[in-house]
Amino acid sequence: MRPDTWAMFTDPAIWRFFGEGLTQTLELSVASVALSFVVGLAFALGRLSSRRWIRWPSTAYVEAIRALPVLLLIVYFDIKGSSLFRPLFGEDFELPRFWAGVLGLSLYTSAVLAEIIRAGILTLPRGQTEASRALGLSYPQTMRFVVLPQALRLMVPAMMGQLTTVIKDTSLVGTIGVFDLLRQGRTIYTQFFNPIEVLLIVASIYFVICFVLSQLSRRLELGRITPEAKVRMTELELRDQAA
Amino acid sequence: MPGAIAVEFPDLFFGGLWVTVQLSVLGLLGALVLGTAVALTRVSPLAPLRWVGAAYVEFFRNTPLVVQLFFLFLGLPLLGLRFASDTFDNIFRAAFVGMALYHGSYVAEVVRGGLLGVDRGQIEAARSLGLSYAQTLREVQLPQTFRAVIPPLGNVAIALVKNTSLASTIGVTELLFGAEIVESRTFRAEEAFLTATLLYLGLTNPLGLLVNGLERRLLVVR
Repeated sequence: MRPDTWAMFTDPAIWRFFGEGLTQTLELSVASVALSFVVGLAFALGRLSSRRWIRWPSTAYVEAIRALPVLLLIVYFDIKGSSLFRPLFGEDFELPRFWAGVLGLSLYTSAVLAEIIRAGILTLPRGQTEASRALGLSYPQTMRFVVLPQALRLMVPAMMGQLTTVIKDTSLVGTIGVFDLLRQGRTIYTQFFNPIEVLLIVASIYFVICFVLSQLSRRLELGRITPEAKVRMTELELRDQAA
Repeated sequence: MPGAIAVEFPDLFFGGLWVTVQLSVLGLLGALVLGTAVALTRVSPLAPLRWVGAAYVEFFRNTPLVVQLFFLFLGLPLLGLRFASDTFDNIFRAAFVGMALYHGSYVAEVVRGGLLGVDRGQIEAARSLGLSYAQTLREVQLPQTFRAVIPPLGNVAIALVKNTSLASTIGVTELLFGAEIVESRTFRAEEAFLTATLLYLGLTNPLGLLVNGLERRLLVVR
């Protein structure tokens, strides 16, 4: 390898530059996961609703969005995001690129989380819901006090897995001009002509974060889980994690 | 009418769709071959072989596909490695290699799961009946693995189709890039992206239905 291309990495300024990117990456991930969880929970409950006019649109949302590439959604919000929100925030509203990225990532991730949450709820024995309803709890109470606390615990590994996917997917926001970890790296190697070194460093940073998280998610086996439920959750993970 | 714009720019939409399909099919074939080979290393009795397989799977699963694509497209030429002398061929092949490498790690995990899912007693029985390691693998383990892995592999295939859109970041004119070009020429973002969306749904939804159908047909109760 060319001899002098690693020397620049002794400069702390370079690492500060990477650090800024990593901060953006982590902020994007946290914001997207938080937003997706709320939206995903709503759509999961919507899909399980007994009312058709709630169930059908929720199903359509989840199935359609899950079948789309994340990058398409991110690029769409970058181009049209501002005009989508103008009726709400006034004529000269400009959607910050960071939030365009968050919306694109969240739209997709919420559909995935909705499926994970729904699967988690469905794996609980039906008797639990029936018993709590028979004891006089209302449907919202049953969900809040009986079903969700157990189902959410069941989902922790799958959700952690999804978090690593979101972290990997945030690397796409560089294409719409958010200065995340990868984009900072690209700025460095266009200056110093050393894409190999920079990309190896960037890849290692992503690797460390995602590897630790995915190992954790494998170790975490909270709650009782039936073999069938486990198979179902792993399948879900596979479908949406490769994305 | 969202579809109308596709007729105005057929080479960008249908040409792009064709590139997406090519990249998906080639990438999937590459991923299947590579993934199966790696899965075999991971169940092999030789420890160093298992380590290499595990290192490959963990590395490619835990780094973003875009980073891998950038490396293949920008890094390798600096090391004197190019997939083709022609620039367009080079990026298409780099994208293909990226798809195969990244999804190969997922295929490897699925196939390994399938191989380990075969009851240990069957393997022991086969070995004690005098079948060699290779024969046991071919005659006993692989046929059962094959049935068990089809549905999860279908899910990897769906993910792969969606991920071909990332090839646009290194300049492959596939469907998403085509839609972006149309948008920048016409400013008709809604139409352009809705058309691309419908075309992607046209690829992924039938695949999803196929996977669900196969899942029901191949379901083996053990």
